[in-house]
Amino acid sequence: MSKLNSNTLAIQTFALTKRFDGLMAVDSINLEISRGELFSLLGPNGAGKTTTINILCCLLKPTSGTASIMGYDIMKEPFRVKELIGVAPQETTISEHLNSWENLSLIGRVHRIDSKELRKRSEELLETVGLLERAKDRVGKFSGGMKRRLNLIMALVPDPEILFLDEPTLGLDPQSRRAIWDYIAELKGKKTVLLTTHYLEEADVLSDRVGIIDEGKIVALGTPDELKKNISETNTMIISAENLSAEAIEGLRTSDRYAEIDNVSGKLRVWGKGLNFREVIDYLHFQDVTIYSAALEQPTLEDVFLQITGKELRE
Amino acid sequence: MRFLELAKRCLKETYRDPLSLGFLLGFPLVFMLLFGFAFSGETTPTYSLGVLDHDQSEISQAFVDEALATAFEITLYDDSSQALEDLKAGDLRAYITIPQGFGEQVYQNWQGEKENIALDITYDESDLIVKEQVISMIDAVTRSFARIEVPVTLNASPIHIESEITYIDFIAPGIIIFGLLILIPTSARMMVRDKEKGILARLLTTPTRPWEFISAYSLCLFAVGIVQIIIFIVIAYLMGLDIVGNAGLVFLVFALTALCSIGIGMIIASLSKSENQADPLSWLIAMPLAMLSGCWFSIDMMPSWLQSIAYAFPFSHSIEASRSILSRGTGFEAVTSDFLFLVIWTVIIFAAGILLFRRKMTI
Repeated sequence: MSKLNSNTLAIQTFALTKRFDGLMAVDSINLEISRGELFSLLGPNGAGKTTTINILCCLLKPTSGTASIMGYDIMKEPFRVKELIGVAPQETTISEHLNSWENLSLIGRVHRIDSKELRKRSEELLETVGLLERAKDRVGKFSGGMKRRLNLIMALVPDPEILFLDEPTLGLDPQSRRAIWDYIAELKGKKTVLLTTHYLEEADVLSDRVGIIDEGKIVALGTPDELKKNISETNTMIISAENLSAEAIEGLRTSDRYAEIDNVSGKLRVWGKGLNFREVIDYLHFQDVTIYSAALEQPTLEDVFLQITGKELRE
Repeated sequence: MRFLELAKRCLKETYRDPLSLGFLLGFPLVFMLLFGFAFSGETTPTYSLGVLDHDQSEISQAFVDEALATAFEITLYDDSSQALEDLKAGDLRAYITIPQGFGEQVYQNWQGEKENIALDITYDESDLIVKEQVISMIDAVTRSFARIEVPVTLNASPIHIESEITYIDFIAPGIIIFGLLILIPTSARMMVRDKEKGILARLLTTPTRPWEFISAYSLCLFAVGIVQIIIFIVIAYLMGLDIVGNAGLVFLVFALTALCSIGIGMIIASLSKSENQADPLSWLIAMPLAMLSGCWFSIDMMPSWLQSIAYAFPFSHSIEASRSILSRGTGFEAVTSDFLFLVIWTVIIFAAGILLFRRKMTI
């Protein structure tokens, strides 16, 4: 590790590994996240995202390997690390019988922030996420979205160098999700953010860089555009048709061409390297398939994920 | 102070939750009332009263036959030592001595002169029924007989009879300690709930140290324990518990016992993953400990090996110390070793709690 690296890197992991009773949750992950970067760990449930975050927050001991946060080793100086981080856990963890002020002040006080500063910061944060009017109500009465927003700003009270957001919009309605995205986007450049998500759009819209994680391994790493470009030789066709027989679909598949019916839209999806639009259409005509529409699709992170892991993100 | 902030949160979570508050305060209340009523028996009281008539006048005889006999079962004595013996044997609740000149004093009252009337009453001081009921009955009977408005001067001379400790005096310390043993599940539940909900994990990502968590939870639980102890003592007192010794000293014994329970509860919480694990585990520890420590019956009946196990835990020591302070009025010197044992136990259990917390309190 060079001197320069230790100064500019906010998070660095060294063959970070965690095994639970034979299950490899995190498998030798090496990550370097710069200061001010918004980095997303994208992967399906059980890929090892939360485990990685928990290790970086000093909540779990790695089986082997280690990590450093702003140059402090998580194993050797956990309390130094804890002074620098803010964490919004995946489960909403707030004290139900306290109001928003009290919840925020609890976190602030254990970080030894003086009450005047704390008051100011809390007010700003509550204002930003639109909770100021309800700030004196017990949070037990809050809606799911309001609780999530409070859960998020609790991580920001100590004004941390590094922010860990574990699935910040999990299970939220689109409107609340959009509000949280806007807020996270505002933090870009000001804080180092490590975010985990299994929403592609979230990673795509927010991140500077994305690490795709599957079965504990980082399987792809880059900016959303880079990742998409890497598979851009792969084209996808979306075809809306009638009389599609299983044989016709089977016939489309070759060694580097895939075809399947999308469960959601009911449309036929064909993808592969150097996909020939004309050839596919001609073949389907020959099979007596009636084609209503056919179009080439821009690759998404979903395609990246699908191509790399052979799995769908959302089961 | 971080732990003060955490303790504050803990207390707010407790007193703002009607259900948990109801359990924490309602439980000792109902519990003590039930035991109090169950053991304060005697539904139709006819008290036996000894009478030594030194006056031997017509008026004094009329007083005994017509007034006292309506309220008490009367036994006449010639000799005070015989009366005292019967009192000690429990055949008498109390005995009164009618002094010479009693008849004259009553006569003066009947003539309209305000003359003071004095009677001597001897009873067992640990017998609260005498203190509260018998004396006032004698007072009322005498006043109506002598037709006076002023209270009769009753020269009460309570004597202390060790063998005559009433059942409530014997049972109350054990029941209170049992109540404090319930702090084990209460403490375990409070901590493990935060663990299960992830609140502890969130706080563990802040620079809060293990000892600060332990202090915060203990402080909160100790406050709960103190309130419970006050409820226990007040109700036990109303139920007839006789506090002979130093109330502060007995309070200290109970407070140390509460700390031991809190410590055990914290260790259980550290070892459990969920409330579903912690709850049965803590009851599994609290109930046998209550039995073993002699909460409900004297441990003298148990085989000696079982007694040695009992004495390895703080609770039998607290029962014995509090019992001897409460009903025999012993001072600190007599219970020093029990005290020391409680203090050492508290220190060890908390040290173990902090160590375990360090090792186990991760998600």
